[in-house]
Amino acid sequence: MSDSRKHRILMVSDFFYPNFGGVENHIYYLSQCLLKLGHKVVVMTHAYGKRSGVRYMTGGLKVYYVPLRPFFMQNIFPTFYGTLPIVRTILIRENISLVHGHQAFSTLCHEALMHARTMGYKVVFTDHSLYGFADVGSIHMNKVLQFTLADVTQAICVSHTSKENTVLRAGLPPEKVYVIPNAVDTAMFKPAPERLSREEIIIVVISRLVYRKGADLLVEVIPEVCQMHSNVRFIIGGDGPKRVRLEEMREKHSLQDRVEMLGAVPHAHVRSVLISGHIFLNSSLTEAFCIAILEAASCGLLTVSTRVGGVPEVLPDDMIVLAEPDPGDMVRAIGTAISILPRIDPQTMHLRMKKLYSWHDVAKRTEIVYDHALSCCNQSLTDRLSRYLSCGAWAGKLFCLVMIIDFLLWHLLQMWQPAEEIEEVPELVFHNREESWNVNEDHGLI
Amino acid sequence: MDNGFSGNSPPARSRWRKVAYGGMQPGFDDNHTDESFLEEMVMNANVVKRNMLKVMLDTVSISQYLCTVALVVLIWTYTLKSAISEISLLLLDASLLVLGFLVLILTADMLSLNLLFHYFLNISFFTTGLYILSPIYHTLTRSISSDSIWALTVSLLILHLFLHDYSGSTVKPPGALKNPNLTSNISLNASIVASVLIASRLPSRLHVFAIILFSLQIFLFAPLVTYCIKKFSFGLHLCFSFGLIAVTLGFVYHLHRLLFVLLLGLLVSINLVCPYWLIRLQKYKFEINGPWDEAKLCFDITE
Repeated sequence: MSDSRKHRILMVSDFFYPNFGGVENHIYYLSQCLLKLGHKVVVMTHAYGKRSGVRYMTGGLKVYYVPLRPFFMQNIFPTFYGTLPIVRTILIRENISLVHGHQAFSTLCHEALMHARTMGYKVVFTDHSLYGFADVGSIHMNKVLQFTLADVTQAICVSHTSKENTVLRAGLPPEKVYVIPNAVDTAMFKPAPERLSREEIIIVVISRLVYRKGADLLVEVIPEVCQMHSNVRFIIGGDGPKRVRLEEMREKHSLQDRVEMLGAVPHAHVRSVLISGHIFLNSSLTEAFCIAILEAASCGLLTVSTRVGGVPEVLPDDMIVLAEPDPGDMVRAIGTAISILPRIDPQTMHLRMKKLYSWHDVAKRTEIVYDHALSCCNQSLTDRLSRYLSCGAWAGKLFCLVMIIDFLLWHLLQMWQPAEEIEEVPELVFHNREESWNVNEDHGLI
Repeated sequence: MDNGFSGNSPPARSRWRKVAYGGMQPGFDDNHTDESFLEEMVMNANVVKRNMLKVMLDTVSISQYLCTVALVVLIWTYTLKSAISEISLLLLDASLLVLGFLVLILTADMLSLNLLFHYFLNISFFTTGLYILSPIYHTLTRSISSDSIWALTVSLLILHLFLHDYSGSTVKPPGALKNPNLTSNISLNASIVASVLIASRLPSRLHVFAIILFSLQIFLFAPLVTYCIKKFSFGLHLCFSFGLIAVTLGFVYHLHRLLFVLLLGLLVSINLVCPYWLIRLQKYKFEINGPWDEAKLCFDITE
């Protein structure tokens, strides 16, 4: 690879380790693989508790925990311009060539992308979630997204459904939006070494027990399945406001010996829970991609899932049984899954997953997006303003105003603290001690 | 074939599939936009075609309630002017109570004696409490000027009218499933505060008691009574509403010409202009649904 194709990427999101979820996972694995490909990657997020300042993670991944406190749902307080100085400093210090923001409801991501565009950097944005169009919250979020995406160089979505959603929400030309799914670290999610007996069939559920994850569906489905199949047991991992309802259901139908509730399962223990079951049940009501299904399939479990969002795209038809999100159809789907279970070999399933999903593949495809982004021509402020202006009668003018003020503030900062005065960090080369980069789950810091 | 990238793909371009697995699809970039893009999008699926006459008839309940509030304000003004004595006010309270109950009994499908007794007990407790508290209400706002009280009352009433639940009644008939929502509760509370404020300007304790009782009867139970009438027969509802509107207009005309013109204008705009406007705006309706929407549960969650 020629040196010119080596990118220096800044990943920005409010969501990163020690917090845990799909976005955090995605950023971490993508960064690790990009580092492997020889790019330089720096992550910027907000401070988590006492974890503030610069930290290094596996493989020399540098993380800036910017000293801003989370204000609502792990997001920083939106101030529009409050983050400009620190974003500018990091961009210059780290000699960044491209900024990659993650997640539509991350305030830090939106602010950083805005500043980066003002300073003339190329930006890429990844959307990890789906949004409706009807309620007030969605309408507001969609306008914010339109603002950020109006000027983004390239956008990435995690599934085709998510792409359709993003294109509609932000009014982007579809050619600018790439679909690059999540992946799974198959080395971490290996099936059980010995095949479980099928005398008793164990169905595993691991999710937060909230409305959006369909906990209410579980309450309806579990007693019916237990009644129809006498050899089925459930293991439910996860915690949340709906846990009480599930426990009530268990009491009411006296299923204490057949439904086990584990409470919150730390991600490091997810595999050990998964491999104790035959079938993985996902009951989400909305899902852009659903990494949990990948983890289950990688452990060799047959998946039963609701047909929502991007879920139908995630696995080949013979590895998943889909159902409409209503209890009757889900009970039918679980019945189908139990009947085809003898034909499922966990080891074969695992090997297939290895071929279907890999983070290295994700990184290579993301690299192509970066190349495309960098080959886009530079645009002057007036060109960009006209694009903002077309965002809406009132919103367009407001967006323009926000961008003009950002531009002025940036020039003020240039005078107050010239770029030459900011010291660039020296290049550090990390030598990996081991060739395989199986990342330990404590996201161990060096 | 489920792992498209494993190589050995036939030279003919294989078809693009809407799947996320198996890496980049051979022959297609990641930003490939298929013809099937947005195929599953549904537009304006839940839009109801509205009929002008129906909308106009539906708005009658709004004008009816507006007139009810106007009548309450009229009674307040006359009482403040000392044009109505406390005895006639109390008589009005009693007759309203009896009338309200009559309507409830006549329109209800099932109203047991037990329930009536329950109502009666509640009302007597409530009235006694109000009577005991009326000296406090009487002196509650003594240190505040009348102008401020009127200004506050008017704004509270406007808030009340804006947030009022015109489709039903905040005070539910027994056995109703849905709880009243936040805005209708705010609306009810605004009206109660407004009546307490007005009552505190009155000359005697008996006045205070009578006027608060009157206002509460109207604000709490008039929506319930009109709701019952509407459920019983729509024709009766229309007759009642038009009667009420006519009476109100007559009284307001008597009180003040400008207010009359204002009220008339308001009623015309609510019953004629707004429905027309709504129908005109329908063509701009643009609703999008698709696979990205959150699935709706097809059963009720009983907590």
